Amino acid sequence: MTPYDIQGLKGRRIKDRIFAAMVWGLTFSCLAVVFIILFYIFKMGIGSLNWALFSQNPKPVGETGGGMLNAIVGSLIVVVLAAIIAIPLGISVGIYLAENRGRKLSDWVAIAVDVLQGIPSIVIGIVIYVWIVKPTGKFSAYSGSVALAIMMLPPIIKNTEETLVLIPVTLKEASLALGASYFRTTMKILLPAGIGGIFSGCIIGIARIAGEVAPLLFTAFGNPALTANIFKPVDTIPKVIFTYASSPYDDWHRIAWGGSLILVTFIIVLNAVIKIFENKWKVQF
Amino acid sequence: MEGTILRTENLRVSFGDNLVVKGIDMEITGKQVTAFMGPSGCGKTTILRAINRLHELTPEAKVEGKIFLHSENINEMEAMTVRRRVGMVFQRPNPFPTMSIYENVISGFILNGVKLKTDEKNNIVEDALKKVALWEEVKDHLKKRSTSLSGGQQQRLCLARAVAMKPEVILLDEPTSALDPLSTAKIEDLLYELKGNYTLIIVTHNMQQAARISDKTAFFYLGELLEYDDTKKVFTNPKNEKTQNYITGRFG
Amino acid sequence: MEHLQAEMDALRREMLEMYKLVLSQVERAQTALIDNNLSVVQEIAYNEKLVNAKELQIDSRCETLLALFTPVAVDLRFILSALKININLERIGDIADNIARMVAHSKPGFDREFLEKINAKQAFAMSLDMYKSLLQAFEKEDTLLARDILIKDEAIDNITDESVSIAEEYTKSKPDSITQAIPVISIMKMVERIGDHLKNIAEEIIFYAEARVLKHSSPKQ
Repeated sequence: MTPYDIQGLKGRRIKDRIFAAMVWGLTFSCLAVVFIILFYIFKMGIGSLNWALFSQNPKPVGETGGGMLNAIVGSLIVVVLAAIIAIPLGISVGIYLAENRGRKLSDWVAIAVDVLQGIPSIVIGIVIYVWIVKPTGKFSAYSGSVALAIMMLPPIIKNTEETLVLIPVTLKEASLALGASYFRTTMKILLPAGIGGIFSGCIIGIARIAGEVAPLLFTAFGNPALTANIFKPVDTIPKVIFTYASSPYDDWHRIAWGGSLILVTFIIVLNAVIKIFENKWKVQF
Repeated sequence: MEGTILRTENLRVSFGDNLVVKGIDMEITGKQVTAFMGPSGCGKTTILRAINRLHELTPEAKVEGKIFLHSENINEMEAMTVRRRVGMVFQRPNPFPTMSIYENVISGFILNGVKLKTDEKNNIVEDALKKVALWEEVKDHLKKRSTSLSGGQQQRLCLARAVAMKPEVILLDEPTSALDPLSTAKIEDLLYELKGNYTLIIVTHNMQQAARISDKTAFFYLGELLEYDDTKKVFTNPKNEKTQNYITGRFG
Repeated sequence: MEHLQAEMDALRREMLEMYKLVLSQVERAQTALIDNNLSVVQEIAYNEKLVNAKELQIDSRCETLLALFTPVAVDLRFILSALKININLERIGDIADNIARMVAHSKPGFDREFLEKINAKQAFAMSLDMYKSLLQAFEKEDTLLARDILIKDEAIDNITDESVSIAEEYTKSKPDSITQAIPVISIMKMVERIGDHLKNIAEEIIFYAEARVLKHSSPKQ
């Protein structure tokens, strides 16, 4: 071994170790922050997890107790309706983008999707207010769903497109070579093959909107009463958290923490679902 | 021996400004194996894919000239009809990953929306798998995922899938280039048996394969058909010097 | 590789046909000479055409096999040996034809006593015996039998080596038999050559079955 190797080697080893330590350290601090937040929410919210939280509507100001049944139901309605609107639409646009790469129109659509993703949620809320709420004269759950659906579109479209693009073109060719129509090829071969990624996209979309407040401020608005009517305004969990947390009442703060815990748990469960099903539905080509 | 089953008339294919296939006139005889060979980029695969109109998937591709299946012009027929009568096996085995072995064999029927009784389906599956010598190996695992088979088995499955449709012509695009020698030999034996009932056109990079299994060989170079004759003649005494250079390995 | 096997089997069948065709030619030549039977001469002339046609057929099949299947190992050796065996068999057929012509030319036939002195009958019988052993060796791929044949050829050579001196002696005692001497000696030499060709064929059988080359070496090895 010449003198040159020995000289460089020590320095390189030390650099290696420093770098590894840095990466470890930063990762650890990131994770630490996440865990601290989760832990804190858990600690603050666990106290208010009782049957009342899930079964009662909010009590009027001044009275203690009460729950957020109306907000839970409201969130469910608004999110499910948004999903019903956004998922078929988003998947279709995703299919279009995947099948028509290189075409001018699809380039424009892709740009539009990117822009859509960047629009602030409150702006979307205001736009829907102008389009739906003002003409109809009332706040409603479905207008909130429309706003949320618009926000859900970019992740669904992007995930669908990326998943379909990864499917080898030879699969599509094999189907067409058997005389299948384009429609059947998509429905029976391509979508099933991409179900993992498409499903992830949908869940990511849901996770994204489940905690949104801003677009609902001018659309679903809020409602202390329990309702399942989509043409009426509804409360949602994040809205309630916002309202209660900014109030001066301790009791409401307690409920807000409870709501936060529910919301965070919901998001964590959704992410776990993505992970489980992504592996289960992984398709080998 | 049958007469001409497929005929091309001044077939030209271009991708954008690039004319890749420069006017091909040829006749394919029925119930035989015809091999297309030639160096990379000579247009042999392009011609093959023009026969079942797969170029329609590529926007820049333009196919001109005529191709006749029996006496019908392929380009004037409904694309899906053409593809039901002309089957294809691809270079990399591509069974449908979300379907079982059983479903893959009858996938042609599923994808064409043809409703069959269970009996009919079972018969078709068994018949097709027997024709490709796969039946004994998979008859107890028909519901398993198709991707659980080995490469050679998958390719035979793809062949079964094509055969199940009882096509008039089967196109094979380098069907064994992704397989090991043993699987390759099995498939070559299969093709030799199948030609009694089907017309096969095979594109191959492997000259020895063309020599072993085909009845007629076509040699393409830079988009033109330089020689097309009985395989025996092409490999013992080719008429064109370029053909001789190619098969003796003196090319380039 | 069923296709290749089918083609190799067809080659083997054709070679057996060639063997048997030429064998019957040699038997006819024997009949013509020893029994002085001229009726077989026409048959021999006719079959000579069949022998030639078969030679071309086998050659063509070998060429096709080599071009289309690029055979290796035992298959390659079999085809190479088939080509050489083919030539040798055709030459034997030629010799039988020539012998028949010479018998036909020599009306009213050769002197019986001369033929007996020169051991024509034994030489022919031995060559036919060699031939039949050879046929069996080919059919059964019996290389021991083939090796036997190499030794038998020596025995024929021993008989035919004497031809010139026996003829010399005979023509001294019967001077008008001198015109027969030359054709008879030729015929004996031809029978010896039949033995040589059979020996070549035996060597080829050993080559293809054992991949051992025995050409140009003495039979004792």
